[in-house]
Amino acid sequence: MSQYKSLFLSESREYLKTIADQVVALEQSPVERSAVDALFRGAHSLKGMAASMEYGDVVVVAHSMEDLMARVREGALSFEAGVADLLLEGVDLIDAMLSDVEADRECTRPPGDFAERLRGYTPAPAKQQGAPAGEPPAEHPAPQAGTAPAAEPEKAKEPAGEASGTVRVHTELLDHLINLTGELITNKHRLLNVAQEVASPALNDAVSETGKLLRALHDEVMKVRLMPFEAICDRFQRSVRSLAKKSGKEINFELSGREIGMDRGMLEQLVDPLNHILRNAVDHGMEESAERATQGKPPRGTVRLTVSRDRDRISIQVSDDGRGMEPQKMIEAAIAKGVITPEEGALLSPRQALMLSCIPGFSTAKVVTDISGRGVGMDAVNAAIQKLGGTLVIESEPGQGSTFTLRLPMIIAIIHGLVVQCGRVKAAVPVTAVLRTVELARHEIETMGKRQMFQLEGEAIPLLSLNRILGLPLGRFPSGILPLFVTEAKGRRVGIVVDRFLGQHELFVKPFGRPLCKMAGLAGGATLGDGEIVTILDLAGLL
Amino acid sequence: MIPERLILFTLGGEELALSLQQIGEVMEPQRSYPFAGAPAHYLGLINFHGNLTALVDLALYLGLKSRPLPGKLLVLDPRLAHLALKVDAVSAIIASDLVTGEEPGDGPLTEAYLETPRGRVRLLQLEALISGLEEGLSQSPPRMQS
Repeated sequence: MSQYKSLFLSESREYLKTIADQVVALEQSPVERSAVDALFRGAHSLKGMAASMEYGDVVVVAHSMEDLMARVREGALSFEAGVADLLLEGVDLIDAMLSDVEADRECTRPPGDFAERLRGYTPAPAKQQGAPAGEPPAEHPAPQAGTAPAAEPEKAKEPAGEASGTVRVHTELLDHLINLTGELITNKHRLLNVAQEVASPALNDAVSETGKLLRALHDEVMKVRLMPFEAICDRFQRSVRSLAKKSGKEINFELSGREIGMDRGMLEQLVDPLNHILRNAVDHGMEESAERATQGKPPRGTVRLTVSRDRDRISIQVSDDGRGMEPQKMIEAAIAKGVITPEEGALLSPRQALMLSCIPGFSTAKVVTDISGRGVGMDAVNAAIQKLGGTLVIESEPGQGSTFTLRLPMIIAIIHGLVVQCGRVKAAVPVTAVLRTVELARHEIETMGKRQMFQLEGEAIPLLSLNRILGLPLGRFPSGILPLFVTEAKGRRVGIVVDRFLGQHELFVKPFGRPLCKMAGLAGGATLGDGEIVTILDLAGLL
Repeated sequence: MIPERLILFTLGGEELALSLQQIGEVMEPQRSYPFAGAPAHYLGLINFHGNLTALVDLALYLGLKSRPLPGKLLVLDPRLAHLALKVDAVSAIIASDLVTGEEPGDGPLTEAYLETPRGRVRLLQLEALISGLEEGLSQSPPRMQS
């Protein structure tokens, strides 16, 4: 039996995801027959699989969900918010049961009276509530106030199976394949070095051909790691829906670009930051209907999550048409909190002022939350995005709304890194974190108070030594020229001085296992062509 | 409970042991690369079958007398950690039925003291060792000893 358990778990979770997707989609188009059918089939298949594995509690819950959907299919019950709530409760219940099955433990969330509640469910009497005066009655059953329907009507979906020409492969196996491919590419560089020393044209040709084949292999293997953004969409729809409901706000949640493929590891790490931005948009960014009406806005606000791809970069935008943020108030709040000085505040551009929300300590300020409604935990969001080799840009128009744009590499396993020397340590900085490199003459350094600064495009940029940050002896610069790169930290540009630039490299990033994974300031490591190992710095964690 | 087989090794004149099951490979020392922010007992990083593996001078970490390389590297099973321990020498691999006596350990890193044909050996508690290294890294800011 145990050899079938992992297959059962993976297939059941796929069915659960389909059910949750369809529930949210049906709230937008309650008459979509194909979605009703798909929901019914999902519950039915889950019940059958659980029965064959003798997981009785799962059978009870899935069976009651199937019965409820049968009533909807037969027209005895209309699909409305109460039905959606019960089905989503069932999804959560089964998900918890599957976790227990996976952990080989007793059921921690028994079905209780869930089945009876579904059996005895009758819709609440219709109320004309929350409809703004003067709004014409809807022709079709409208989604309930506070729900967050998806933008695109969902097509009926069934989990892909082996019949469609696909096979299930354990993710560990994929990671192992990718790791081996990375090693082969690193080894190719070593072979190239040897071939140059031996000066054999035949060997050169063979290594060159091997290189081409490895590049093709690498491209194919990397594609295997890509998953559509859709894999994490359901969580956002659920989260926005439940928050909107809780806060009594009317929100349309529009999602586009769900088919865009992204690195599996990246998707997993994006769930929390995106959820955070979305929660902020609903919780704080969006006004209540009455407030919107006074501003001449439609009572139902819109939150959009848009994913797009530009060559090897992914752009994810979360935008809302809520109250927006005021840069000047952000500056005032940061000064009041002691995060920046009034002099520093005077130098900030509106864009930099909005980025103040990403400074640790700023976000917990109540005054900021009240004024802007933003910033809670944005420092953690920004750090997580930078760790993925991405960037975050915030744009906002007071009264019009805000847009958070995340730009990320499609695949995190390979990054372009600027390799630098600091003392006896070589380290790499993702080029996405490098705004520019500068070679600074000593006479260009100004001392302001205790700080050393230099002028760049009319802005005074503070200088920091990477050696000092890493606790290494300070570099010596006999030529009088200091190499530095400019990066952004805490909403401001800073110049990071290093001993030497060693060039830009394409790096195959390897995550650290225990114990190094616990070390702040390191995003992983990579092997250079000559076999040398460098660490990849996580500047957000270091500065 | 004493592991089925033990690997015995020396460190600063002391005999220690680990469960053989926890060891992926015993290696000759190889070139390691220093990394930013590492405390003094980290000798650097090595490449172990594609895994970037931290090399720790175990004597230095345990407060024993550290000897310069060579010596041997005990590379842990990668499923447990990406960690290699530099020890002075590997002395033997013995079966648990050769252990004639056992006393409880006197600290979190010592699981037990065992009487073996090679004398008294200290059986290390590997999980505590890895957790201790992790804690050291998560608590200290990223700094490197110069």
